[in-house]
Parts: sequence; C-alpha cells; structure tokens
Amino acid sequence: MNNRLSFFVPIQSPLHALNPLTKLALVFAMIALAFFSFPWLAPGLVIPIFIAGLVGKVQNQYFFVVTRLILPTVAFMFIMQSLFLPLGDVTIFAFWIFDVTRESLQAAFITVSRIFVMVSSFTLLLLTTHPSELMTDLTRRGLPPQFAYVIISTLQIIPQMQAKAQTIIAAQSSRGLDTQSTFAKRVGALVPLVGPMVFGSLVEVEERAIAIEARGFTSTRVKTSLKDVPDSRFDQILRWGILVIVILAIISRLWLS
Amino acid sequence: MNIVIKDLRFTYPTGLEALRGISLTIAPGEQVAIVGQNGAGKTTLVKHLNGLLQPTQGAIHIGDWDTREHPVSKLAARVGYVFQNPDEQLFSRNVGMEVAFGPKNLGYPVEKVDALVKDALALTELSDKTETNPYDLSSTWRKMVALASIISMDTDIVIFDEPTTGQDAVNVRRIASVIQALRERGKTVITITHDIDFCAENFERVIAMAQGQILLDGPANEVLGQEEILATTYVDPPQLTRLGLRLGLKETVRNQDEFLTAIRK
Amino acid sequence: MAIVTLQNVTYKYPLTETPVLQNVNLQINEGEFVAVIGPNGAGKSTLCYTLAGFVPHFFKGELTGTVEVAGVETHQSSLNEWVLNVGLAFQNPFNQISGAKYTVFEEIAFGLENIGVPREDIRPRVEKALALTGISDLADRSPYSLSGGQQQRVALTSILVMEPKVLVLDEPTSQMDPIGTREVFGVIRTMAERGMTVVLAEHKVEWIAAFADRVVALKDGQVLLDGKPGDVLTSPTLEEAGFGISRYTSTARKAKEMGLWKKDQLPVTLEEAVEGFSLTPSPSPKERGE
Repeated sequence: MNNRLSFFVPIQSPLHALNPLTKLALVFAMIALAFFSFPWLAPGLVIPIFIAGLVGKVQNQYFFVVTRLILPTVAFMFIMQSLFLPLGDVTIFAFWIFDVTRESLQAAFITVSRIFVMVSSFTLLLLTTHPSELMTDLTRRGLPPQFAYVIISTLQIIPQMQAKAQTIIAAQSSRGLDTQSTFAKRVGALVPLVGPMVFGSLVEVEERAIAIEARGFTSTRVKTSLKDVPDSRFDQILRWGILVIVILAIISRLWLS
Repeated sequence: MNIVIKDLRFTYPTGLEALRGISLTIAPGEQVAIVGQNGAGKTTLVKHLNGLLQPTQGAIHIGDWDTREHPVSKLAARVGYVFQNPDEQLFSRNVGMEVAFGPKNLGYPVEKVDALVKDALALTELSDKTETNPYDLSSTWRKMVALASIISMDTDIVIFDEPTTGQDAVNVRRIASVIQALRERGKTVITITHDIDFCAENFERVIAMAQGQILLDGPANEVLGQEEILATTYVDPPQLTRLGLRLGLKETVRNQDEFLTAIRK
Repeated sequence: MAIVTLQNVTYKYPLTETPVLQNVNLQINEGEFVAVIGPNGAGKSTLCYTLAGFVPHFFKGELTGTVEVAGVETHQSSLNEWVLNVGLAFQNPFNQISGAKYTVFEEIAFGLENIGVPREDIRPRVEKALALTGISDLADRSPYSLSGGQQQRVALTSILVMEPKVLVLDEPTSQMDPIGTREVFGVIRTMAERGMTVVLAEHKVEWIAAFADRVVALKDGQVLLDGKPGDVLTSPTLEEAGFGISRYTSTARKAKEMGLWKKDQLPVTLEEAVEGFSLTPSPSPKERGE
C-alpha cells in the first residue's frame, strides 16, 4: 500500500502556512530572477533557498532530494557544458580533443545555478504545499476544475499504474514471454506489455468518467470546497512585493546592459 | 509432474511475512482448490510455482526443476498460470493469435502450435470466434480467451487464480467443464477460489490457508465440513454442506447427489 | 407512487446492430427494493445506466420509449441534473475512486463540492453518511490504501451523501471476496431498512432473497419475469433459461420429484431449506430396503 503519493511533508511551519499562490509566485520570481536578471545573481539565489528550506522545517527532506536527484543531474550538466561550449580562448586545461576555457566554465556555472534554483524552488513548493490545497486555491481563482483534476489524479494514479504494469509483466512472462535476456527480445516484448496497459487504461478512464460524472463533476453550479485555503493580507502584500522586485530586477538588468 | 514444496517461507520487501513455513506435495493429475481469506497467502504461494516469486527460505521443485534455477519464461513450459483479470494479458488482433502466443513463445513448431490452438479453442467453446478481436468480446468470453491462451501451452500443471469471479452461472459451468477436461487428460489443476460451492463441486482436494500457513489439507469432504476451523479464515462451508450440517446429517455432503442420497437414509 | 417509469424502452449502443434493451416496461414505486438478475450480456448494466441517465446522455446511441424518474423525462434533462435524482455505483471499486482526493473524508465530500453545497453543510453531511455506512473509522485513510470491500463502501457512501431519490447499484459485489461481499451487503441492508428506493443488479441469489421486495429477471434485453422474490427465484423458467439459481432451490426441486420435499413453495435461502427439509419424514426401514 503506497500512502506516500506526494512529496508533501505534513507539518506546520511559516512556509506551510503561506497561501499556495504566494508560494507559486515565489517560485516563479526565483526563476525569473535566475534567468532574466543579472547572470551572477543566480548562484546567489541559492542562499535564500536554503533559508526557505529551514523556515519550512523541511531541510532534511530537501537535502535528501538535492543530494540524490538535483546534484547528480547538475554535476553532469556542468561537465557537459564546460566541455562542449565553444566559448573564449583562455584554456585552463585541455585533454584529448577538449579545451576547457575560463568562459565555458563560467557559462556552465551560471547555467547549472539557474537549473538548481529552478528545481530547488519547485521542490520546496511541493514539500510544503499539499497538492489538493494548491489545486483548490487555483480552481477558486479561475483555473478550470478539469485541469486541476487531471493534475491531481495523475499524481495519485502513477503508483497504481506501476502496480498494473508489474501484473502485466508477470502475466505475460507466465505465458513464456522473455522480457529479460537480450535487447532484441526486450523490444519484441513491448507490444504484449503495452497493449493490455493501453486497453486497460481506456476502460479505466471511461469508468472513472462515469464515476465522477455520477458525483456531479460537470455540474454547472458554482463549486464549493470542503477546505478553506486562507489568503491573508500578508500573502497579498507579499505577492505584490515579489512582483515589484522581479520587475525592478529585470528592468535594471536591461538598463545596465 | 510432481510439485514438492519444502518449508517455504516468503517475506515481501516491505517486511510483510506472507508465507510462514509451507510444506506440500501435489501428485500428478491432482485437482486442488486453495481457499482462505484475502491476505492468507494463497496468491503468494502459487506465484512461487512458476517462479514469479522466489522463496525467502525453503525450495520448490516442479518435477526435477528447482524454481530458483529457471526463469519464469522457461518454467512456463511446465506451469501454466491463468491470471484473474484477462484484460491484463490480452493484446492480439484476434483470438487465434492470442491463443497461439504462449505455445509460440515456448518454441513449438508451427504444426504443433496450430494443433494446440485448435484444441484449446474447442475446449473453451471459442472455435467460432477465432477471427474475432478479443476486445470485441464480452468480459465472460474474454475470460475464456485467457483460459484458452494458457491451455494451449499444454503444460502438465495449470493454475487458475479466481476463475469464477464476476462470471455468470453459464460461464461458471463452462469453466467447470474445462477443468473436468483437464482432469481427464491427467493434468494437475490448482485453483485459488472464494467460490466455495464451485470448489465443492469440482475439486477432490482442498487446502485452507490462513496467515501464511496451511490450516487444513485433505479430501474435500473432510475439509469442507470443518465449519468452525474454516470460519477462522472467513470461509463458509458450501451451501449444501451447511444444509446437511443444520439437518444433522451424519456424513458431510458437498453436492446435490450426495445430499439427496444422505437425506434418504 | 411510481418514482421510476420505463415505457417501451429500446436502446442500441452506437456502432452496434442489435438493441441491448428491447421494449422494457418497468414501474418502480417509492421505497421499493428491486433486484435485477440475468446472465452477463442480458442488459443489466445497460438498464442501470439508463436509469442513471448515462444512457443516452453519456453513451449516446439510440434510445426510444420513455424513461421517467421523479416526474422528469430523461430526454428533457441533462446528465448533471439527472444524477442529483439517481445515484449510481458499479462493480469495480477502484475505478470509482475519484483520484482527486487524499482521504476518504475528502473523497466523500467531492460530490457535494461539485454541486455547490455550502462549506458549513459539507462536513456534517459527510459525517452523517460515514456513520450510516459504518466507515467513520476510515475517514482519514487514503482511499487507495483500502481493501476492495472498504473501497466499495466508500464508493457507496460517496453516492449516498448526495441523497439521491433512487439508488442504482450495478453488481457492487461481483469483484468482492466473501468478506467484502458481506461488508457491502451490510450497507445495502441499511438502505433497505431505511426504505430507500434501490435497484440492485446482482448474481448472488441468496442475498437478493434476503432484501428484495421484487425481482426482475432480464434475458436478451427483455423482461422475462417480474414478481416477488419467492416466486421469481424459484421459477422453473429461470433454470431453463440458464440463470444462476440457489442450490437450495435446485436441490429441493429434485427432491420434490423424488417425494422428499413436501411443501409447495421451493426454498431460496438456507433457513427456508432447513425448514422445508425438516418436514421430510425419515423413511421407514422397509423403504430403505432393510
């Protein structure tokens, strides 16, 4: 039984208490600052992100995601970028056919910082925001409920799909299907594995459509929600503040360059 | 082909101990039903017979093969396994191709495949549906296609997981007659079932499981009359057995003939 | 008073030749518990979908005749208004979980949110429904962590909370193990006792005999029999037409031919069988051939 269907850490913290839209605004502000403001700002943004992790009391979970997922990816990108970016001519070191220049190292550093900021911000959002709270809030502000439904139900159904895929593999290998030995055999095994998956999904989608329709999903009445997602005065002021900062940062960059 | 299970224990990666010491021998040609509540370990046990699961401790021999030494796709030549939901295995354009998939995987020559397919289709009353797309059939007929696609592999041992769930009376009879035909061919049939009346009418040996262990194992008449022990694994005796018990009949009855004979005494 | 009226209803799914329902006439009174039996493919599910408005609104196809529930005709209504009168639950519990919610409590509130019930009313209604079906202890669990029987009770509760006038259940226990079956029928018993109008498509004859006021037997899209459970479920017509019947009934019928069943009425349930066979006198030693 998989009960951990999302990243969400169910505790209380100032970050948890923020309105979901405010947190989403913060995420996009970080991305905008990292990508469209001064390039040297991107590495610096890592500091407020670490602070946010502490404020949200999710530093352990965040550290886990960073070391297992983000850092390996970012490190790989850093190596590839510094090797292949054809920039500058001050070679710091060279081996085989590659010249690693100061410029390519700088560019690679900026790029991976940007990626790091983007992924980290989203991670913190997911760690401190219950997905249904996020969707409830966005639906109230005009996001189509169908859209919210697709996001949430997909998140929930992924573990179920994995279980189903395991059953199909078991059923077909019980019929003598070789899914393991050679590459050619693995490719040949795709149809018997994907076929039942696709058909099963079609049936499931139809039945689920009936089930949610039977519960008034497409009702034309104005939807209500069980949970109240608070949106405080502080949240509203903070969002305006974020907007102003981002605009100022981008304008000053355009101004100075 | 003998099935020999020796002190089998199995623990899932989650730490759940699903089988706690199972020893069991099933002789060639036996018809065995396994009953018991969900979570008793029935499916976990039979998944060991064709290598889908490997024992944490103990061993399983299918004839002279140790299941740990052969992959599932090879064990498939000895043990056929009909999964509960046909929709989790059907993928071919027509019924004939679907039923041929197994024997082809086993590497049988074309003529043999053709003969096996024809036979399996006849046995499951699907001969007139050979060219039909399985997904154009009703769920009852899809179930029969799933049965045929395993029978066509001509294994000495056939496992059915909940064959009657969701089936109507006509199809339950059809499935019973397939099992009867397999018995006449000397196949070993092992069936997991919640349908205790189906079990009573079609199986000679019944194994009741609870909490990863064997609770009862013996001739159907002996096992199915043990109302109190069966109740601990949430199994009711078959309808006519219950009636016989309530009427105070001396012997345990499990089908109409036995009941009518007993009540005349 | 009739709350459901079907007149000469014939229905064909799109892209098919033969009608699945043919000339079905059916009147269901308020508070009646009607069981629908029939082999797979007899049209039970289609009848359920028709009552619940999914035929024709969801499946399209060709529907002739009139379907009326609570004074409204299906053609004059939209699906999302129709579902407020008729609740539907079906076989597969897993596919009835919305996927949009993380706890059972939220799952059951989903329908009420959709139809705009004010927030302050949602909580008490969900709590009431949970108590009614006896699953209050599951409220904080994830719907996906439950057993089949528990999931099906959540599905039933999700529909009950919307307080429909008619409840349609399409083989709710066909995928259940014996424990799940018992749990789900426990909920169905509660509904029967509260005098709800229920239409239940079901194979399990013994359970039907325990709850239904009336049994409708469908075969090839037509109503074959319609009457009291004791009459319909023991009718020889059923056995001839390949319906699943109780082993008590078939055995007593055989016994009657042999003079071993003395009553006119054949049994459906264990209790009826015990009572009837207790009347069978022990044969004299002579008859036994001693």
